[in-house]
Amino acid sequence: MQLNTSASVISFARQLEEDSAAFYQKMAERYPKAAETSLAFSKGNGKYTEMIQRAYYGVITDAIEGCFAFSVETSKYTFVKEPAKQSSYSDALNQAIDMERKIISFYTDAAEQSKALMADVPRTFLIVVRKRKDREDTLKALLEEA
Amino acid sequence: MAILEEPIRGIVEVKNYIDGEWVESKGELEDVVNPVNGAVIGRVPISTKEEIDAAVEAAKVAFSDWRRTPPVARSRFLFRLKELLEANFEELSRVQTQEHGKTIDESRGETRRGIENVEVACGIPTLMQGYNSEDIASGIDEYLVPTPLGVFGIIGPFNFPFMIPLWSAPYAVATGNCVVIKPSSEVPLSQMKIAELVDEAGFPPGVWNVVNGGRTVVNGMLDHPDIEGITFVGSTPTARDVIYPRCGATGKRVIAQGGASNFMVIMPDCNLRATIPALMTSFFGNAGQRCLAGQNAIVVGDDDRFYKEFINGVTDTAKKIIIGNGLDEEVQMGPVRDAEKKKKILSYISSGIEQGARVRLDGRSEFKIKGGYPDTCFLGPTIMEYVKPEMRIVTEEIFGPTMGIIRVKTLDEAIKICDQNPFHNADAIFTSNGRTAREFKYRVKSGNVGVNVGIVAPMAFFPFSGMRDSFFGILHTQGKEAIRFFTESKVVIERWP
Repeated sequence: MQLNTSASVISFARQLEEDSAAFYQKMAERYPKAAETSLAFSKGNGKYTEMIQRAYYGVITDAIEGCFAFSVETSKYTFVKEPAKQSSYSDALNQAIDMERKIISFYTDAAEQSKALMADVPRTFLIVVRKRKDREDTLKALLEEA
Repeated sequence: MAILEEPIRGIVEVKNYIDGEWVESKGELEDVVNPVNGAVIGRVPISTKEEIDAAVEAAKVAFSDWRRTPPVARSRFLFRLKELLEANFEELSRVQTQEHGKTIDESRGETRRGIENVEVACGIPTLMQGYNSEDIASGIDEYLVPTPLGVFGIIGPFNFPFMIPLWSAPYAVATGNCVVIKPSSEVPLSQMKIAELVDEAGFPPGVWNVVNGGRTVVNGMLDHPDIEGITFVGSTPTARDVIYPRCGATGKRVIAQGGASNFMVIMPDCNLRATIPALMTSFFGNAGQRCLAGQNAIVVGDDDRFYKEFINGVTDTAKKIIIGNGLDEEVQMGPVRDAEKKKKILSYISSGIEQGARVRLDGRSEFKIKGGYPDTCFLGPTIMEYVKPEMRIVTEEIFGPTMGIIRVKTLDEAIKICDQNPFHNADAIFTSNGRTAREFKYRVKSGNVGVNVGIVAPMAFFPFSGMRDSFFGILHTQGKEAIRFFTESKVVIERWP
């Protein structure tokens, strides 16, 4: 699906955050040794959603190109919402890393497309990208320990 | 993406808000229609002269206490209103989409812009300070005190039902005046919602009143001896021929904002990648129903390769605009407000063709409506080439999703076209050259000037400007000019022997 408007991109971002929060909740249930990290990630997603919405509602005005700011193809960024059944701990971590990369790629692409039009929103996207890259490093470290 | 839930279910019976009470009108009722699907979502009264008189009387009575309320205390009422507007942000935005048809991004933008005016007015304790000189003569001091005047009338248009009355009302009440607002009878629900929040914020009865209706209410305001001033936003004929002269005749202050026919000047050195989305918003945002909308683009230079790239770019992008219900987050352009307005826009397109313009993209037929809604109020974007400055599609206001394209060789010619047009609301230039931009903004006789910005909408802390047939008056709405408009300068010279 192609997203062009700010409203649809913000809704899609919210959906990604909810889906990845659900993924980490499942991960915490299935793999107790990753529970603390997974629950912290899941909680962090709520914070990111709030940051993004605050940026959008704070800067959206009738004068900016809100309806023409983006051109995002959603199929590039979709992921499975829970760790695959019967998957090992390492497989689940790899799946989480893959999911984080897709979300990072969404925020990076969306920020690039709209940076000249509604600057506060892409800036917030890039903050989330930075935080998620830290998250990816944490997941990689857990994978090495596994 | 799902369609967002409609906040208005069933049919809302709109009432007047007078002296802190919701009052049923004795006037006839008119339907409020959602332009997307023709559904009746409300019934608005066409109030009587007695009802506008009652509102003015309530405001007049409230004024004596309200003006004595310290500015810092008045600002606290506005802070409470601001918090309530934020808390209801999404509902207020969706109501605008339902009653007007604009997209949800546009409605949220309108809500934000409206709230920003309340925020600015919250600063009234400092905004309203006067000034003084000690010892203007030996032992004599002189100082200026901005003082409120009494009751003001605020007349709103259909295109920004939420925001435009807020260009005036927060400043009027912050400075100690009382207001009577008349929303457009086509879109009265947003102002009704605001009045509900005003009530919840605890403003004293009579400070903020809303009377719905049409000409009777407007005439009642214009003729009323207790109304000190009027702010109006609407068409140029009404602003110029009715509001402005009649305020003059009855000694009222006036801000009368009229129509527009704005130009977007495209230089061949502009960044097309950034310019095209800005033009889409300018020409087709709010379905072109903005007094700041671009109506004609003036492409400068004889570089045919650039022109081809430009025209292909705008046409291809405009063709892809998704048209439909503004509550669908994917939709980029909603309907125009009603069938009559669509008819008028169509007649302008026909007139352009008759006068020699050639249709590049035909918004009369070349569009699809997402969701299968009836096409009663829908139009696609229209792009016309070979437009000349003397055509009616340039000299008159279309107020619809159309883009005329005029080609000229030099910037001088472009500025001349801008300046010879009767309207002077907003003109913009798209360029990567600072000197060209400076030349344009220095010379063009326009109230609001854009450089690489397609909708030149001043923030709440700047005046919403306009010139010639786009504006009648001296001071403008918003910010410091609004504070000045809603106060008189009382000068005191003081000696204590």
